[in-house]
Amino acid sequence: MPEFLTDWGLLVITFVPLAGALLMMLIPQENEEAHKQVSLLASLLALALGIWYLIDFNYSDAGSLQYVVDESWIEVINSRLIMGLDGMSLPLLMLSVFVMPLVFIYSWDHIPHPGNAKSFLILMLILETGMIGTFLAQDLILFFVFFEVVLLPMFFMIAVWGGEDRRYASLKFFLYTLFGSALMLLGFLALFFLSKDPTTGELLRTFDMRVLSDVAGAGIVRSSQLLIFGGMFLGFGVKVPLFPFHTWLPDAHTQAPTQGSVILAAVLLKLGTYGFIRIAIPMLPEAAEAWAPWIGLFAVIGIIYGALGCLAQTDMKRLIAFSSVAHMGFVMLGIATLTDFGINAAIFGMVAHGLITGMLFFIAGSVKERYHTLEIKRLGGMLLQAPKLGWILGFCVMASLGLPGLAGFWGEFPAILAAYQPANGIPEETFRGYMVIAAVGTVLAAGYLLWLLQRTAMGEAPEEFANDPEIVDVKRIEWIAWAPFLFLIVLFGVAPGLIFEITDPAVVESLDNCLQLEGGCEGVAAAAQATFGG
Amino acid sequence: MLAQLDATPVETPEIVWAGLLPLLILSAGALLLVMLRSVVKRLPADVEPHLITAIGPITVLGMWFAAGLAGTDVPLAGLRDDMGEPAFYIGLALVMVLAGTLVRTMEIGLDAAITVGLGLSAFAATWGIWDDRWQVTGPFNAIGDQFAVDGFALLFAGVLAASVVLVALLLDGYLRRESLDGPEMYVLMLLSAAGGIVMTGANDLIVIFLGIETLSIAVYVMAAMHNRRTESQEAGLKYFVLGAFASAFLLYGIAFTYGATGSTNLVDIQIFLSSGQLVDNGLLMAAFGLLLVGFGFKIAAAPFHAWTPDVYQGAPTPVVAFMASAVKAAGFAALLRVFMLGFFSHVDDWRPAIGALAVLTLIVGSVMAIVQSDVKRMLAYSSISHAGFILVGVHAASLAGINSVAFYAVAYTFLVIGSFGVLTVVSGVGDRATSLDDLNGMAKRRPVLAFMFTVFLLAQAGVPLTAGFVAKFEVINAAVDSEFYWLAIVAMLTAVVSAFLYLRIVLSMYLGTADGDAADLGDPIPKAAGLAIGIAFAVTVGFGILPGPLSDLASDALPALIGAG
Amino acid sequence: MSDYLRSYLTVGIFGLVGVALVGVFLGLGRILRPDHPNLAKNEAYESGVEPTGDMWSQANIRYYVFALLFVMFDVEAVFIFPWAARLEAYEVFGLIEMAIFIFILLLGLIYAWRKGVLKWV
Repeated sequence: MPEFLTDWGLLVITFVPLAGALLMMLIPQENEEAHKQVSLLASLLALALGIWYLIDFNYSDAGSLQYVVDESWIEVINSRLIMGLDGMSLPLLMLSVFVMPLVFIYSWDHIPHPGNAKSFLILMLILETGMIGTFLAQDLILFFVFFEVVLLPMFFMIAVWGGEDRRYASLKFFLYTLFGSALMLLGFLALFFLSKDPTTGELLRTFDMRVLSDVAGAGIVRSSQLLIFGGMFLGFGVKVPLFPFHTWLPDAHTQAPTQGSVILAAVLLKLGTYGFIRIAIPMLPEAAEAWAPWIGLFAVIGIIYGALGCLAQTDMKRLIAFSSVAHMGFVMLGIATLTDFGINAAIFGMVAHGLITGMLFFIAGSVKERYHTLEIKRLGGMLLQAPKLGWILGFCVMASLGLPGLAGFWGEFPAILAAYQPANGIPEETFRGYMVIAAVGTVLAAGYLLWLLQRTAMGEAPEEFANDPEIVDVKRIEWIAWAPFLFLIVLFGVAPGLIFEITDPAVVESLDNCLQLEGGCEGVAAAAQATFGG
Repeated sequence: MLAQLDATPVETPEIVWAGLLPLLILSAGALLLVMLRSVVKRLPADVEPHLITAIGPITVLGMWFAAGLAGTDVPLAGLRDDMGEPAFYIGLALVMVLAGTLVRTMEIGLDAAITVGLGLSAFAATWGIWDDRWQVTGPFNAIGDQFAVDGFALLFAGVLAASVVLVALLLDGYLRRESLDGPEMYVLMLLSAAGGIVMTGANDLIVIFLGIETLSIAVYVMAAMHNRRTESQEAGLKYFVLGAFASAFLLYGIAFTYGATGSTNLVDIQIFLSSGQLVDNGLLMAAFGLLLVGFGFKIAAAPFHAWTPDVYQGAPTPVVAFMASAVKAAGFAALLRVFMLGFFSHVDDWRPAIGALAVLTLIVGSVMAIVQSDVKRMLAYSSISHAGFILVGVHAASLAGINSVAFYAVAYTFLVIGSFGVLTVVSGVGDRATSLDDLNGMAKRRPVLAFMFTVFLLAQAGVPLTAGFVAKFEVINAAVDSEFYWLAIVAMLTAVVSAFLYLRIVLSMYLGTADGDAADLGDPIPKAAGLAIGIAFAVTVGFGILPGPLSDLASDALPALIGAG
Repeated sequence: MSDYLRSYLTVGIFGLVGVALVGVFLGLGRILRPDHPNLAKNEAYESGVEPTGDMWSQANIRYYVFALLFVMFDVEAVFIFPWAARLEAYEVFGLIEMAIFIFILLLGLIYAWRKGVLKWV
């Protein structure tokens, strides 16, 4: 029944979680079981639909948009309900629909203080709708709306179910992101008013992302392009988060409940990087080229700064949060090269980081549940007391530091490699410098991650926890929630082509404008194609 | 000497009564209400409930007649023809019965019921004019060339009527709680709204002044109506003194305009100015300045905003809802009318002043709000920053700008009535519990109300899927379209700053734990107030998800100048 | 400067001369008059009665209400006179207008009366 997928599927997959949330609003609060079941069911439905898309997707045409929905929406502001799926959004869509059911499973007996499963689960479902919608939207206003919809549930999750400092952390998270998106919206508007048809020179007046990517900023003077890109840079950069806009992240992660941290790390941060590769770069290739060295600079600063930050942390969750800053730095470095190779690496990096860091936050949540602290100094001997938990931590740490054979490697290594030869028009020497710095970053990453493993998992159990009956090994519900993560980390590590083959055509397609305009880049694209067999 | 004056009849202006219907309903209704209630002070206890119930069906009939009189045909004539006469009249009767039941279940007082009925009838009349007259024949003059009936005026008249209805619903429970029962508040509100309608359609600066004074004087008294609260007295006095001061500025500005152009009629002014006969525009500049000062006071634009926080904090909360919605909307309507129609040929001269006002208002409104600890005061500053946003739309001085102002005014009216409606209900006897701490733990005590308040606040912050987002979007859209990027950037940044304020309130509701002696002991919410808040909520969310209909209305609603001919 | 504004110049000069004249005469008086102050002379003059109490004394609030009502009907007269003078010219239209005007004012009186304002207690 592929007609269903073509006609309605994308709308259904986006709004199934929301429908679940609406249904849950009718169920009284006391009936927690029902809430858990409905939320899980709704997310499983979305996952099932996602898998159906995965099967039905036309891989030979991954570069072009498929299953396009194009309906009128808010005519007065010229915004249409346009959605579509291509090789660039498919992996991220799958990541979202894959992570959410597992989070719901984990929530089965992990509703954080102060309870109220109903509201907590409803917020997560709304969050899922926002994330899926962002990855599918093909209209700038629709994209913006979904991008913002994500903000509120996360704000409430941190503010109500968070740790000690939740008030501060939630406000900081919200205001930083809102600040970025305010300027981003201005950028969108400017694009709307300034874009011209390259052949006829007529004003386009459209928010349609397909059209805007096609014209690629034609008719907009260079200085305006640079400014518009700057607005988007702030909007997406805050979300990524790119140094120096990253300061909300450690606070938000540390204070958020486990589920919130996992979703934040696994999916939410990707909204920013996705925005770069889906909107900012294809629509304004000229400006992207001018901004690239700066993006690269911020990215490598982020890598080093994040790593050094990690070394200074005393809190396990905060350490993982800083490692996110470093990892997203690699992703941004890949994007900054503006090559097919680099952007493919970036998408892979997003998925890998989503899986690995999401998993690390799960572990942190479980550690907190058992030890009631995340202070690295007080922890230790996990391998003796809860060996399986300790081993899983070790496995994730290895994946995170980029051990070949696990998913993390394919996110970092090609990104560094891509920096060796950025796209034409971008200063090569600068990026080779960045490459060296990023390579140093990987060493530092190995340092802090192994240090974390050593301090928490190895050695004798500290006295205060030695005979603590609460410290048990991995529970069944945790196994169910975690096993798929672990499996995929290995799978993508062994067979990276699974993702690269999907993303490559779409990346080539989106960079196509850049290639035509600049008349360069083909060599790199061809090399990448050869490497990954896309 | 008097006898020597010749006795030939003075030419009386041509009057289109139908066009004046909303105005007449509100003002004559107010006068009748005060007369009725002064002559018959207390109704027998066994008559009053029946009388109140009867107001429901009477209102339905009133709306039907009002719309019919205002238009050129029986309202819903199309529907009647489709349904067939018997079915239609049975339907009408059914609606009347339903309205009666609704009034009964609302447990509303007599004065409030009458006021709601009048407001709804005025609304119906506005709709009738819009649908059957204005859309058929285009804009027209109602009294000589002094009062125009155009889409813009009609839209704002509708907004004023709607705010009268909603605020009356809020006032009912409030006045009983504070034992301030009596028709005065309602009468003043109706008169004030009538003044507002005069402002929205005025084609002459003197008529605008009349409207402003009618509107303002009534509101001065309303602000001071809570006679056992010194803050309320202070608010009334402060508002009165500063308002009178502003009126003087306005009048002086009108005088200068007359000096510069030789007329107070907007049509004549526009013709004179665009003919380029004005050689030296020093006098006109002074007029612009003085008029802007006068209007600036009314709409609470910085630096003429100083009265706002004190007055909003002191005045009875439902009155604040009225001030922030109706008074502000009428002020903007008049401002836009004067500058966009009368002075449009000199747009380059007045635009920088509006821009400066907008920037200052945005910054003062959002930044000062952060340091407040009283929710009413916070919302007062937030209303200042909203005024700044609307000024950005005025500053664009384009069709898109006018549309965005109209949209913003409508959306904001419902938002702000909703917000202050919630505050009315939770602030407890004497309006005491309005500090941020008093809201602590509200989400636990009153989850539904807290949720609605959250939505209103987020809508004010401009979060998508609420009417507030579309409103802000359209304003920014207009600014970017006119290529005033710097103003758009300032507006967006201050919007982020004021988001902080709204989030603070939200956090208090959801995070704080209630103290034992919290003033709000969970008294039942008055049903009428609940209805008003519910309507505001429905509009906020409804037009957030589907802004199309409202936006179409707003883009139809353009002001027009029609000469005397 | 336009002619229009220049005509204000005359007004300005006139005003300045006026202010200057007042100053000159007061100053002249100060220079010419003998000056021998004593306690009795410095007391406020109140119809030969010795002043007692504070400068601020409260008037009864009821006076204000009456004053307000008086002003209301006093101002009414200002509007009625010109109308009466041109009664024929305004014909029936004017009559109705004035009837509405007086009715509204009357309403105020009725309201005041029912509020018990007219009773002196």
